[in-house]
Amino acid sequence: MKLQRTLRACKFGIVNYFDALNLQERLVSDRKAGNILDTVLSLQHPPTYTLGKRRTDHNLLVSESDLKAMGAELHYTERGGVITFHGPRQAILYPIVSLREIGIGARKYVEGLESVMIEVTSLYGVNVHPGKAGETGVWVGDRKIGAIGVRISSGITSHGLAFNINPDLNYFKHIVPCGILDKGVTSLRTETKMELPEDEVIHEQLIKPFAKIFQFGDIQWKQDGSF
Amino acid sequence: MAFKLWASSTANALRISYNGTRTPLLALSISRCFSSVIDGFKYTPSHEWVKHEGSVATIGITDHAQDHLGEVVFVDLPEPGACFAKGGSFGAVESVKATSDINCPISGEVVEVNTNLCENPALINKSPYEDGWMIKVKPGDPSELDSLMGSKDYTKFCEEEDAAH
Repeated sequence: MKLQRTLRACKFGIVNYFDALNLQERLVSDRKAGNILDTVLSLQHPPTYTLGKRRTDHNLLVSESDLKAMGAELHYTERGGVITFHGPRQAILYPIVSLREIGIGARKYVEGLESVMIEVTSLYGVNVHPGKAGETGVWVGDRKIGAIGVRISSGITSHGLAFNINPDLNYFKHIVPCGILDKGVTSLRTETKMELPEDEVIHEQLIKPFAKIFQFGDIQWKQDGSF
Repeated sequence: MAFKLWASSTANALRISYNGTRTPLLALSISRCFSSVIDGFKYTPSHEWVKHEGSVATIGITDHAQDHLGEVVFVDLPEPGACFAKGGSFGAVESVKATSDINCPISGEVVEVNTNLCENPALINKSPYEDGWMIKVKPGDPSELDSLMGSKDYTKFCEEEDAAH
């Protein structure tokens, strides 16, 4: 009989990007050492632009000082993917899990993250699909509703997914989102006719299919107050 | 050097089509996809291979690894002269919006880097054991190779790993 695996789900409010990065690094180290369970962080960021390992600055259409003037931060990261925006009303999940224990590689993991966001978007009656080759993410028509950017170090994941509940989409005008020209971004609020619950509910609606898809037997919920 | 092809990868052929929803991915009990290995190479549990020839060891990632990664779009490699401990991360590959660290199977000093991978990172997918080689090192301690897996053990390791879910 297969041993039941537990997922620890830590819920935060708005967390500064740099603080979340430091927390993830610590958790990755703890997970590599086998000191903690597989964990998923659930949070939102203040207005933040991030670039991936490839450092494709040309996808940023304004200067760094302009970004500061509009109250946004810019961070360079080691995750996959190109450029994106994070902000309030965008649900972030950062799973810190061992892919070797699950028994999958990067491709299947990312497909699983896409499935998580597809499942949640479908709850609201929206016709959603994963991206074609080279367009990883979750789409409604040719508008992106969910993005993925992951780092895998010795089989342990960090970074993760960003799902647009109802962020201010104007922030995306200052970048070429995910480096893909001629495609737009959208949000659950824009695409659904249904009423939306509190963001916290939608965060839980993302965590539950995550646990199911990656075959966790149960979820240990942890509410972390302020970070 | 014998090249053993166990079976062609069937993952793509078995990928199930969808119309907006996905079958829970780990509920698919698809038949095992056998990736190729090369006799005479040594292998790590993190899916790197080593070809030791005299004073140089060539290092790359295996067919199993490239299949599980997806199409590689970017490779980050060290400079010649860099030194790594056994198990240390010497670079990374990016595929499907995921960067995966690559670990050095043995300790050593980098003497050559495959710069073709900058222009053509997909060589890792098309030819993981030949044109997709990543670095060549001068081994710091050749006895470290003894603790790595041979092709039979590595094949068994991959089968067990894929069967785990």
